[in-house]
Amino acid sequence: MARYLTVRLFHGAIVIFLISILTFAIMRMMPGDPVYLLFGEGQVRISEEQMDAIREQWGLNEPLYIQYLVWAKNMLRGDFGDSLVRRGVPVRTMIFEAIPVTATLNVFALGLALLIAIPLGIAAGIRRNSPLDYATSVGSALGIATPNFWLGLMLIVIFSLYLGLVPPFGLRSWKGYILPVIVLATEQMAVLARVMRASTVEVMTEDYVRTANAKGLPRRTVILRHAVRNSLLPIITVIGFRIAFLLSGTIVVETVFAIPGIGRLFTDSVFRLDYQVVQSLVVLLAVLVVASNIVTDLVYAMVDPRIRIE
Amino acid sequence: MSATSFEQPQATILAEETKHRSELSQSWRRFRANRMAVVGLIVVALLVLMAIFAPYIAPYDPITDIFRGMRGVGPSPEHPFGFDHLGRDLLSRVIYGSRVALLVGIIATIISLLIGVTVGAISGFFGGWPDSILSRIVDTLMAFPLIALLIVLAAVLGPSLPTTIFVIGITVWARYARVVRADVMSLRSRDFITAATASGVKNSRIIWRHIIPNIMGPVIVLASLGIGSIIILEAALSFLGVGVRPPTPSWGGILADGRAYIIRYPHIAFFPGIMIVITVLAFNFVGDGLRDALDPHDRE
Amino acid sequence: MATEPNSNARKPFAMSRRQFLRYTAVGGSAAAFLAACAAPGVTPSTGAEAGAGEAAAPAAEGGGGTMVWMGHQEVAALSPDDTGPSVQYVLIANIHNPLVWSNEFNELEPMLAESYEVSDDGLTYTFKLRQGVKFHDGTELTAKDVKYTYDYYRNPDNAAVRIGDFGGIGSVETPDDYTVVVNMDEVNAASLVNWAGFGIVQSDYHAEVGEDTYKTAPIGTGAFKLKEWRAAEFTELEAFDDHFRGRPAIDIIRQDVVPEPSVRMIALQTGDADSSVWPLLVEDSLALKEDPNFTVFSTPGNSIKHFPLNNTLPQLSDKRVRQAMMYALDRQRIIDDLWSGAAQVANSNFPPTSFYARDDLKKYEFDPEKAKALLDEAGWIEGGDGVREKDGEKLTFTITTITGDQARRPIAELAQQMFAEVGIDVQLAEAPVASILEGMRNGTMDASLFNWTYTTNAVEPDPFSTLHSKGGNNFAQYSNPRMDELIEMGTQIVDPEERKKIYDEVQEIFVEDVPVLYLQFDEWLNPFSNRIQGLPVDPKTADEYYLRANEWTLAE
Repeated sequence: MARYLTVRLFHGAIVIFLISILTFAIMRMMPGDPVYLLFGEGQVRISEEQMDAIREQWGLNEPLYIQYLVWAKNMLRGDFGDSLVRRGVPVRTMIFEAIPVTATLNVFALGLALLIAIPLGIAAGIRRNSPLDYATSVGSALGIATPNFWLGLMLIVIFSLYLGLVPPFGLRSWKGYILPVIVLATEQMAVLARVMRASTVEVMTEDYVRTANAKGLPRRTVILRHAVRNSLLPIITVIGFRIAFLLSGTIVVETVFAIPGIGRLFTDSVFRLDYQVVQSLVVLLAVLVVASNIVTDLVYAMVDPRIRIE
Repeated sequence: MSATSFEQPQATILAEETKHRSELSQSWRRFRANRMAVVGLIVVALLVLMAIFAPYIAPYDPITDIFRGMRGVGPSPEHPFGFDHLGRDLLSRVIYGSRVALLVGIIATIISLLIGVTVGAISGFFGGWPDSILSRIVDTLMAFPLIALLIVLAAVLGPSLPTTIFVIGITVWARYARVVRADVMSLRSRDFITAATASGVKNSRIIWRHIIPNIMGPVIVLASLGIGSIIILEAALSFLGVGVRPPTPSWGGILADGRAYIIRYPHIAFFPGIMIVITVLAFNFVGDGLRDALDPHDRE
Repeated sequence: MATEPNSNARKPFAMSRRQFLRYTAVGGSAAAFLAACAAPGVTPSTGAEAGAGEAAAPAAEGGGGTMVWMGHQEVAALSPDDTGPSVQYVLIANIHNPLVWSNEFNELEPMLAESYEVSDDGLTYTFKLRQGVKFHDGTELTAKDVKYTYDYYRNPDNAAVRIGDFGGIGSVETPDDYTVVVNMDEVNAASLVNWAGFGIVQSDYHAEVGEDTYKTAPIGTGAFKLKEWRAAEFTELEAFDDHFRGRPAIDIIRQDVVPEPSVRMIALQTGDADSSVWPLLVEDSLALKEDPNFTVFSTPGNSIKHFPLNNTLPQLSDKRVRQAMMYALDRQRIIDDLWSGAAQVANSNFPPTSFYARDDLKKYEFDPEKAKALLDEAGWIEGGDGVREKDGEKLTFTITTITGDQARRPIAELAQQMFAEVGIDVQLAEAPVASILEGMRNGTMDASLFNWTYTTNAVEPDPFSTLHSKGGNNFAQYSNPRMDELIEMGTQIVDPEERKKIYDEVQEIFVEDVPVLYLQFDEWLNPFSNRIQGLPVDPKTADEYYLRANEWTLAE
């Protein structure tokens, strides 16, 4: 167990190292120079000397490998540096302001998705090829097939503009959470319902269910008990998956609903060439993903006795 | 998630080579019995035809026919989808848009399959240090927020159709690699492979004759399910401004244009959105059908 | 009165050769809009004395309330040095006050200065400060704060963005607590709008915390003080009880960040917001104009919407090619079809409202035949694929628009077709603003599409930064010795009538050489819900009216 953990952590460290290099390299390949944005956004006569002085101050004149080393060293100490765009604000503050926003949304969305998808998926799996099964299949297929930004826009138009039920943007009141949570949950719900249905169907073909049946135990009880237990694995998978896709899943949704979470921080920073923010954010998320993968695997092993740690 | 260290419980594999042929016809029978899959297949076929024959189907040129003073005018009998924000016939643009969607969806899937299957097969078959290295690369890609990587790569390379295909292709293969690796690992321990290895058959021959044919089923399923998500990915990239270049009509691009005019000209965003939903739905139904047909165990 | 302003930008602070580039979310959080800006027209009033403006705005009575504005991008910083983007300017200028303010009618209005005098030679400015003006921390404003502010931001070591505003200042003296004397090394007629329009900071506090921290926690004398700042979400200001013009009636101003223009429109319609600092889509603004529940201010812009072209590219270096492109563009159609008519065709680098603008210049009416003739004459002959070529070189180039710029990109798409008609092949691409500015400036990009001012501003005609071969924003890589000479001569003449002769020729050359493909001057449209009462009537300059917030009330 300890050996296993050590190996996993070592692998995780390699992954994070590779990601930090990859991110750093790609960001520096972006054409453009952040000084152009910052230094006046065109307002001022920008003399070359002035620009160079600023680059110097920001350490952008150093050779790239030095810049990388400086950044990596600071990261290890927990110092993410300062934003190039939001002057005077440490990157860490920006990121830790944004994370709770995104996390809250995702927790609500995941909760909603679990609440609806689990019963639905199990029911559909038990009554294969019933109308309910078809409805669930079509519904979840629809949920997966609908681009979430499109869904978001359509919901805003219907529920904010036409019906006036919820505010069109922002999270100031609890009502503001409704639409973004629905949009985020739709996708997860669809995936979860499928996974649940599939694992239920699988359970039903297992020998022990057949045996239980043969023994005359109430079919429904057996299936339900096994299906629910069996569903833990896919649920853990999906939760782990959500963490891994925290950023990807929310970038567009945050853009549509004007939510100041990490997704928007990321896209804004990419286009503004705010190197420190992008690099730190990606590395931080990678740490999160690696950690959640390890935890997921450990939980897997605990839940399912068939899985054994090597 | 855990492919590096755990046996996947659901790593059931298709039957061995000997049963291969009869399985195929059986699978086809099972597929045909699935109504939604058949509908999906028909829709996909229609979409492919629409893309190929777009110039004959589309009533107007999607790029050069700009109607004066028709910006954002809604649907009418002559222009059933209305006009876009430039005054171009939206129906024609949506029809041509299927080309980009299918091109990106299919080519990016092929690229990612080629990479994913190769990496997964090498990793799973040989194990050891090649597996370690490749697995770390796969882990890295999986830990990198996909859309974030796409945004940055597209911004670096300059957004365009080839860029979009390329960046999607080289980033989404990791999930195929994982699945293939797990399947190959479990195949390798099967008797017929062990026997072949013991009798001195060359590795490359084993991989080509025994491994690859046996993992094609799950791979095809994954691929057909993947096309849909890639089409959505393309739309998301265009939505964020790093997708296919204007004025080339793509559904994601039209949707992004329409998003700005969602109140005034809602039809602009509505129609490409619907087309994306239909297309992705169709591919997913086909994928589901294939999965059920190729593997009665309903793998996920 | 030379006039006008434009839309875009912080006027009071604007001036000297500066352009403003504004981000926008017209399509996308990261999208940016480049707009140039100009400052308000102010009568060059050398030696004039401003009346002691004791306007003492009537302390508005009313029931408090929260007024919500919307911007398209985050408010990144709040020091008077950060007034570039409009969404920052309207907040910063409500937190700080300058000595004098060029208001929304382009008139100079005394603020912290009770009166001022300019010596006859234009080299000495003497300001008498109001007494009893309180900062948000309760301290009183004195001459020391003014001197500190000017000295800090004009010191090159402090790398201030607006350092250019303070050009010409020799020294700042404070004979007593309520008198500030600014000695100039050279005459600068725009001074009052430039540095005298710069907000004053609490000197002890600023000196203690430094500029970087100050950007996040400013202390000024404005009618509103910072309450809560969450850059990417909202910025909240609250009424300052001890403001020298009286406590504002409105309790809270909140500016929300809403990147999607369509969502901003919905928020206005649902009453979730009262105004949008960054404009909506033109169609939406025009629709609100017809809506009795809204007031829409429309002010003329003085930045040109244009395609900057890299003049050093072989295919674009011949001015006949560039002229042909002007003839090939149906600019009125672009305005009618894509801008809902809310713009004017540009016929000069000077906005039509400028004192220096000529209207007797070559007009470039839409004439594709003439375009083809010019291209033929220049030796570009149509090849097999419909694209013209010369010496094996194709007449093709790429226009790079700003990522997510949904408002302007359609113009490039339409222009692409217009150019194709005459055998010019245009490719379209997108890139973030920082890449475009760098690429155009360094000549690594072919062409782009954004708004920029090709003068200094409405008052000051000097186009050095954009049209001089050594200009810092010479995106066209344009170089014409006669133009350089004229620009250098123009800044040395004081008499406006004499200068006009210089700039008459500048415009003639601009129109003849076509360094950039100039399209239109936009109208700048800001919507206000009628819940806000006490709005100015028919203002002339964008953004400045937001500084009247201390006089407004909210109807419930």
